[in-house]
Amino acid sequence: MIIPALKMLRIEHLRGSVIPFSLPFEKGKKLTIVYGENGTGKTTICDAMEFLSKGKIGSLEDRGLGQKPDRYWPSVGKVHADISVSLDAGATSCTAKIHKGSVVVVPAEQKPKVEVLRRSQILRLLEAQPSKRYAEISRFIDITGVEASEAALNKLISNLTSNRDTAVAVVDANLTAIQQFWETAGKPGKGPISWAEVEEDRDYSSLVTDAKNLSGLRAAYQRLQDYPQKYEKTISALEKAQDDKQAAVNQLEAALSTASAGAGELVGILEAASPYLAKHPHIENCPLCESAERVADLHNNVVQRLKQFTALQAAQKAVTDRAKDVQMIEAQVLTLQADLASDSKKFEGSRLETVFPAEVELPGWEAPEKLDEIAQWLNETTNFPAAWLKCEAAWGEQSKFVDTLVKALTTYRNNVVTQKELDALLPKLQRAHEILIEERQNFTDGILKTISGEVGRLYEAVHPGEGLNKISLELEEGKRASLEVGASFAGKDKAPPQAYFSQSHLDTLGLCVFLALALLDDPENTILVLDDVLASVDEPHVDRLIEMLYAEADKFRHCIITTHYRPWKHKFRWGWLKNGQCHFVELTKWTLVGGLQHIHSTPDIERLRKLLDEVPPDPQLVCAKAGVILEATLTFLVELYECHLPKRASGLYTIGELLPAIDKKLRQELKVVVTAGSDAMGNKTTSTVELAPILDELIRIAQVRNVFGAHFNELSFELLEDDASEFGSQVLTLTEAIADQENGWPRKVKNGSYWANSNETRCLYPLKRPA
Amino acid sequence: MDTPSSQLAEKIMQRLTEEKLFRPEDQKKLLERIADGSIKQEDWRLAIELALGKEGGK
Repeated sequence: MIIPALKMLRIEHLRGSVIPFSLPFEKGKKLTIVYGENGTGKTTICDAMEFLSKGKIGSLEDRGLGQKPDRYWPSVGKVHADISVSLDAGATSCTAKIHKGSVVVVPAEQKPKVEVLRRSQILRLLEAQPSKRYAEISRFIDITGVEASEAALNKLISNLTSNRDTAVAVVDANLTAIQQFWETAGKPGKGPISWAEVEEDRDYSSLVTDAKNLSGLRAAYQRLQDYPQKYEKTISALEKAQDDKQAAVNQLEAALSTASAGAGELVGILEAASPYLAKHPHIENCPLCESAERVADLHNNVVQRLKQFTALQAAQKAVTDRAKDVQMIEAQVLTLQADLASDSKKFEGSRLETVFPAEVELPGWEAPEKLDEIAQWLNETTNFPAAWLKCEAAWGEQSKFVDTLVKALTTYRNNVVTQKELDALLPKLQRAHEILIEERQNFTDGILKTISGEVGRLYEAVHPGEGLNKISLELEEGKRASLEVGASFAGKDKAPPQAYFSQSHLDTLGLCVFLALALLDDPENTILVLDDVLASVDEPHVDRLIEMLYAEADKFRHCIITTHYRPWKHKFRWGWLKNGQCHFVELTKWTLVGGLQHIHSTPDIERLRKLLDEVPPDPQLVCAKAGVILEATLTFLVELYECHLPKRASGLYTIGELLPAIDKKLRQELKVVVTAGSDAMGNKTTSTVELAPILDELIRIAQVRNVFGAHFNELSFELLEDDASEFGSQVLTLTEAIADQENGWPRKVKNGSYWANSNETRCLYPLKRPA
Repeated sequence: MDTPSSQLAEKIMQRLTEEKLFRPEDQKKLLERIADGSIKQEDWRLAIELALGKEGGK
């Protein structure tokens, strides 16, 4: 996917932009340096980028502005609704505004990814608590999902290990039990398990049946045991009833003897007549004799006469009742007899029809069905029930033992299977767990190593050879989400840099950490904004830091660096930097009326070229500008070749002193191989520029610089103005031969034989001044 | 962009499959669950038992 290059940033009424401010980005340049003195509005540009991307303004946070620093977002006299930040990139554009208290970007999909580092935040990661440090890098290292999966696997292993231990214990316990059963059984067969398996296969169901049958026989016998007592009791009752009946008869006879002869029959007649007369109270004749005499009161007379026979009646009733008693008991005897016959048959049925094991002894003769014989039979068979009970108990014990044995064997087998399954599974699970741990550690170590490697690489670029580049990032052991930062210092590894590094070194390290993290997180899509981060970095580190930033900026979608570091401006002016890579913007003084304003800085060589292009060229301006450039160029050569010059405290030398310092021998050998471009095949096209003719010509006409460019001088009236143009042209030729505006000056030794600039577009010979 | 968990899960899945602890056909359905932490104990067991079964069947 092609990511569109930035074209224009527009800021309206955000902080310092009291009037709309536009910052155009130069085509083909991915690095924008925004230079400005303090208070020119550099931070407003950074704020705008952060507002657009993150919907906040970090420069106002943590500055004691309360919970709502957003009230200071609008420019003076403006409100939230007036704020607007737009960014044009390629053919697209997006705008951020505040709507209902929130920053809304339209269209949302065009919202750029921006990382902002401010001067105040440069030590954020280094000075933060370990947990905060972890938060800064968590987007690279947050693997909580995998950690949860690893925990589930670990828990499974723990549970299954416990299950296996249990299975082993159960196997041991049941094996011991079976071994004991086996030993109790006399160690039959090849071993306890094979014996138990034989026992398991054996049919023990008859034990239960025999016990049940014998129990039935014993119950039938127990029923017979009741009869002698019942019989005896019934016979006693019968005898008593018969005695009572006889006594009642005797009493009746005695009563009759005391009564008149035939009294008994008379009572019978009277008892029969009384109910009849009660039913027929108005009879005319006696129903017995048919006499009409005394008929009127006949019933009353009968009742009166019956009362006279009460004792006799009682005796007669007693005889009747006792006779009934005898009959009833006699019937009971018959019933008892019938029951006995039935129970005897049942017992015999059980005895004869059931096949009992041989150890069961049975009566040799059948149970009697007569009541008077059962007692003797029971006496003769009295020992059998106890023997039967013993048999039943023995069979029960055996059945119980077999059950226990089978259960032990089944449990043993099941747990052996479980143990074997887990023995196969657990090593695989443990291996999987090892892989998870290895990969997790490799992953996090790799990420941290990559980050620390990047930090070290960047840091070494700024502090080469200082031995401080061995930066380490380590997760704190035993703690979650906690990060330690260490560095090598004076032979001590993993030393906390906060404790040993100077403020300048710490600042550089903080910047390197920020850059390294940004470089790891989709840099091609990221706009990097560095807000005045060079403040505390000292010379010469700042030059290397700038070089490093130039190199790293190319890896991002775009990089905006704000600075108030003045040398940067001058190095840009003099083409000492890789200007071709950089878009340099200078902010002028901010005012309440004019807001932010910028000018486009132009390198001095370009200014000279423009002066020479003017028709006609102004000799004074050409000579003045060319003289300054020539001083810079000659100073570069004199320093590079360590030419002889008188020692001077001020370190300032005139062109008249600098030109002769490049002696004849050196002049003759000075040449520059200039790379002009590439041919159709992609090969570099070069040309060689000998510097001696240029320098010789400059020696010849150098005086025009002073005559035209430095002072008011009547002599200038006598000189040709073409000499001024020639001077300017020679200076331009010399300087362009040596320096490339886009790739800087040749300051690096290459192959031990020449000096080269970036990309080697200029190769300056010789390496050393000839002796 | 893949999350760190997703990146790590892919590496883990590759190792597990190389060592025949996971079946290749189970990779896709389990990758995301390992990455987001939703894989349960029984899922781990089943996946490895299936891999064991397949290995044993060869």
